[in-house]
Amino acid sequence: MAETMQPIDQRELMTLQHYLKEYGQQAEIFVSQLELLENGRLEAHAAIEALEAMLAADDGTVLLQIGGGASVRAKVLEPEKVLLAIGAEVVVERTNKDAIEFLKERIIEMEASQKKVAETLDRLRSQMNEINKRIESGYQQAMAEQDAE
Amino acid sequence: MFGALREKLQAARTRLSGSIQAAEEQAESPVPQGTTAKEVPLPDVPQEPVSPGTKPTFVEKVKVLIRDRELIVSEKDVADALDELEMTLLESDVALPATDAIISHVRKGLVGKHRKIGESVDHLVVSALKAALLDVLGNGFDLTTYIRDHPKPVKILFTGVNGTGKTTTVAKIGSFLKKQGLTVVIGAGDTYRAGAIEQISVHAERIGIKVIQHQEGADPSAVLFDTVQYANSHKIDVVLADTAGRFHNKANLMSQLEKIKRVMKPDLVVYVDEAIAGNDAVTRAFEFDKTIGADAVVLTKADMDSRGGAAISIAHTIGKPLMFLGVGQSYDDIIPFEPAKVVDELLDGGS
Repeated sequence: MAETMQPIDQRELMTLQHYLKEYGQQAEIFVSQLELLENGRLEAHAAIEALEAMLAADDGTVLLQIGGGASVRAKVLEPEKVLLAIGAEVVVERTNKDAIEFLKERIIEMEASQKKVAETLDRLRSQMNEINKRIESGYQQAMAEQDAE
Repeated sequence: MFGALREKLQAARTRLSGSIQAAEEQAESPVPQGTTAKEVPLPDVPQEPVSPGTKPTFVEKVKVLIRDRELIVSEKDVADALDELEMTLLESDVALPATDAIISHVRKGLVGKHRKIGESVDHLVVSALKAALLDVLGNGFDLTTYIRDHPKPVKILFTGVNGTGKTTTVAKIGSFLKKQGLTVVIGAGDTYRAGAIEQISVHAERIGIKVIQHQEGADPSAVLFDTVQYANSHKIDVVLADTAGRFHNKANLMSQLEKIKRVMKPDLVVYVDEAIAGNDAVTRAFEFDKTIGADAVVLTKADMDSRGGAAISIAHTIGKPLMFLGVGQSYDDIIPFEPAKVVDELLDGGS
């Protein structure tokens, strides 16, 4: 594409730089959204594991991490019942099994969203590559003109 | 857009229809239970309508039974399905007040309703769901008509938190209005964020709209005042005023916004947030409306939001209409929010 390009003037180069900067900012936002989604997905997986382990534990005793690498043995009074934030800042009581189902559905939703954001990010990056090529070719032209003088 | 919500609402529709159909089957069985309707053709009886939403009395049930062989949908028939619908809405991040309103509207639309045997149950359920959603979504906001009906220039101030796509939205709306045959000027009122003035200038150049700008760090009120002056002297139809993103709890930034309002006297204050923020967007819109006021809302990144919670609840929760949905990266990726169209897409799958 760069080979067949029209000559570039300084003004256009500056505009392209602006586009590049703007796309870069947008890309940053999408990357941070991807990170948030990934964190949410991992958290949901961890919660599922913990819920399953709670049921598997004979006397309901689990290791509770309290931060700073410290853990205590804790006994869950009702491992069958889970308080779950389902959305819209509403918390409901669900059975352990239903809570796991809910979290699995959420993981599927988050994976679908991740896919969409990643696609948008890919599109942005390919546009940025195009702009980069155009800028590079503009600079090369300018250098060649300078050398000729 | 709102794919997960669409799937869930269609599942709720099937569940509700199933519950009512089950009641009908019971009604047709020889032993009457609860809401029964025995098929006994009888002579004419004067018609007295049952008021919708109220629990049918025994007399009403008997009258209907005699008159039309109809089925009255009772609270019991739909209770479980409505509970499920409530959970579905909450799980989709639809705010609690909006969820309550939808459930109570659907309940009113179904309970006590006379459904003639043979009439489609699905039709009855879809009508109730559509009416409930339309009630919560409000009427939307037709910006073009508003501009045409008001003295020019119509001044529109855009507010909202950081990073939600306010500047891009200003450019998209500018492009939309230009295509409607209106003349537009943009005021680069975000003098705080590095690169914001350049960003809006590049957008404006690309879509062929004049932008009024001062230097970075300048007083945004002065920039927007100049923009209004420019619009007055050049007989421009619309002033789009971009502002820096801010959180409602930052007193100094909010007072700056109040000053902008005093100076440029906007006809419309538009709150911009992202649909994917879900209930957070609703809470923030509420706080902004309380602090600085808002006349309409734009939700960006709706194409990435499968839940649709913010779009469903925002108009009902803050009492201000949703005006546009941002659905992509290009200038044309902004669609006027039309409640009837959205509801049809949610319940009929876009048919």
